[in-house]
Amino acid sequence: MNKMEPVLRVRDVWKSYGDLEVLKGISFDVMESEVKVVFGPSGSGKSTLLRCINYLDPPDRGDVFLRGVRLGEKDTDINEMRARIGMVFQHFNLFAHLRAIDNVAIGPEKVLGLSKEDARQRAMAALEHVKMADWADHYPAQLSGGQQQRVGIARALAMEPDVILFDEPTSALDPELIGEVLQVMLDLAKEGTTMVVVTHEMGFARAVANEMIFIDGGVVVERGTPEHFFRGADSERVRQFLHKLEELYGKEREELRDVDGE
Amino acid sequence: MQEAPDLMTIVMLIIVNGVPATLQLTFFGLAAGFAIGLVLALMRVYGTKEMQWFATGYENTLRGIPLLVFIYIFVFGVPWVFWFVDAVSRPLFGVFFALGIRSGAYQSQIIRGAILSVGEGQVMAARALGMTAFQTQLYIVLPQAFKIALPSFANEYAVVIKDTSFAYSVGIFEILKVSRSVTAAWPALWVPSMLIVTVTYFVFTYPVTRYFGKKRKIHVSARGG
Amino acid sequence: MSVWSQGSPVVALGLEKLGDWADELLAGLAMTLYLYFVALTIGFLLGVGLALGRQYGGPVLSRIVTGYIEVVRGTPLLAQIFLIYVFPYSLNAWLTPDGPPFFMDIRWAIEIGGIRVLSHPILSSILALGLNSAAYQAEYIRGAIASIGEGQMLAARALGLSQMEGIRHVILPQAFRRMIPSWSNEASYLPKYTVVATFITVEDFFGMAKRAIAATFLSLETWLIVAAVYLVLITVISRVLERVYQKTKIPGL
Ligand SMILES: Nc1ncnc2c1ncn2[C@@H]1O[C@H](COP(=O)(O)OP(=O)(O)O)[C@@H](O)[C@H]1O
Ligand SMILES: [Mg+2]
Repeated sequence: MNKMEPVLRVRDVWKSYGDLEVLKGISFDVMESEVKVVFGPSGSGKSTLLRCINYLDPPDRGDVFLRGVRLGEKDTDINEMRARIGMVFQHFNLFAHLRAIDNVAIGPEKVLGLSKEDARQRAMAALEHVKMADWADHYPAQLSGGQQQRVGIARALAMEPDVILFDEPTSALDPELIGEVLQVMLDLAKEGTTMVVVTHEMGFARAVANEMIFIDGGVVVERGTPEHFFRGADSERVRQFLHKLEELYGKEREELRDVDGE
Repeated sequence: MQEAPDLMTIVMLIIVNGVPATLQLTFFGLAAGFAIGLVLALMRVYGTKEMQWFATGYENTLRGIPLLVFIYIFVFGVPWVFWFVDAVSRPLFGVFFALGIRSGAYQSQIIRGAILSVGEGQVMAARALGMTAFQTQLYIVLPQAFKIALPSFANEYAVVIKDTSFAYSVGIFEILKVSRSVTAAWPALWVPSMLIVTVTYFVFTYPVTRYFGKKRKIHVSARGG
Repeated sequence: MSVWSQGSPVVALGLEKLGDWADELLAGLAMTLYLYFVALTIGFLLGVGLALGRQYGGPVLSRIVTGYIEVVRGTPLLAQIFLIYVFPYSLNAWLTPDGPPFFMDIRWAIEIGGIRVLSHPILSSILALGLNSAAYQAEYIRGAIASIGEGQMLAARALGLSQMEGIRHVILPQAFRRMIPSWSNEASYLPKYTVVATFITVEDFFGMAKRAIAATFLSLETWLIVAAVYLVLITVISRVLERVYQKTKIPGL
């Protein structure tokens, strides 16, 4: 496989709901093993963007390519493509009637067509990866938010996807549970997992992001390396936003540095 | 004139001659209603505008007309729609059909409510894994929905079994009709045999609604006769 | 042009024979509405009593009330109406076994302006429908009372109101508003179940339709018309109640 070909290409994606234009031409590429952090004010279209990428909400205009194959093409099976794009949700969205292990195994078994036995083995490995193997037989309702989110990540991992999309994976968690999830995500990033992460955890971004993309009003306002942003962004809007984040999340960022050993 | 039967004999008559038809009608009415209800509920939740319109219209129409009118339409108005069965069995089919199409309207509401309570987050997660719409229903939504809907299904069972009593009016030998044929011959047995009828129905409804109803907060679905 | 005159669609469909029955059908419809409103009212008043009895009645009363509600809800209305209807006959047969004069006369009727407003069958229907509906309404009312929360009652008692006063001035006014959506269910079910009156010789809408069919042989046509009338009636009732709910809703709840 050509190392220089992007895993994911997002080309000029537009999306509106009725009269509301949510995305107005978003483009970026994600290379193998890259981590992209997307951030921006609430309502700026970040979740919509992720849903457009895997066609849960097909874009009105523009293209998404996964390893050169265009999604939404008549002869590409969208379900097959989605199986190769992992997704982790803000509210975990675990299947409430399934134990942790079955939440993770159901994709490999029903979508990838693995045998029950193989699917379970793969699920167990994924749970070990997120340090949840001991909780395999618990139902989602018996798990803390942080544990649920780690199962959510394992569910995506078990599909062995080309890229994983994270939609504010820690923002629904109590502060003391954020660390365990971020730690798992840091490990994944360092192992070379290709990730697109919507998050306001700037410590995480600083530690592993190859590029950060600031979205507001459905357009990319500014993009660059973490150093670029933390030295001082070009746009006043971004600077203000980062300043506000610092006030809100400053303390947790300190904690994250400790986690990361910076 | 024959000697009047004692109470035990009436109980036996009802159990042997009446209960089978009552249970048959209940079972098939519920089963047909379930099939109709499932299709309508899926139409309402996931269907096109036209499908939603149709399903809602079906529900409102079937809920707005007495069951007895449906029974009379199928038994006396259009008995020929059951051309495939002999004339003697047609009333039974008419009642079964009326019970089924009406229960479908209520079961549609039950199933729809249960599907909606599963939440779109899980649907989105399933689709993001690459499941088809069908797999998502089969593995994720419906297993949870049916569990949630169990108490309402228990209530619907009680509604249908009680309303099978209307079959008496078209001459089907179910619980009520059997006891009425006793009272026709021995009017003095009216009150005791009606009491036996009441107890018989209660034995079939109460344990079921009681067992499943514990988890249920208040009954807001159908009531039945 | 009247709907019954030559060339109208009614005549084209062969429905003109039903025209002779228009008055009877209307009288039947009036009887149906009459049964409905009276039974709904009785059911409501009794239902409030049952709900309060179950909620605040103490161990004995609340058990009795619960038993009543469960038995009524667990058995067919048709069996209930037969029981009530035949009870006086049985009493007569038992107390005056040698025939008339009866212990209780059941052939009485009260007419106002030539219209029969009360008789043994009509009274039995009203009683059966009312007693039956009360059990269902009680559950809706109790659900609404239970949803108000004990804090309100505590607050009322803390102000120095007695339990009865708390129920009257704090609990019930809120409960009545809250119960409208679920109570509407019962209010739009009951008209359909008034058809049981037919089986004890009351000439309600359904019974009149049966008579009209016996005379005209227009079975399917008549039943479709009957179905349409019930549908309109029930749709109107549920729409009106929906309006009432929107109007009486407490803002912010
Ligand atoms: N399915 C939808 N239907 C209508 N409007 C939507 C839908 N999804 C999102 N929106 C609107 O699009 C805008 C962006 O939403 P979202 O992508 O969730 O923002 P973010 O994730 O950045 O907070 C919001 O104004 C939201 O109300
Ligand atoms: Mg979002």
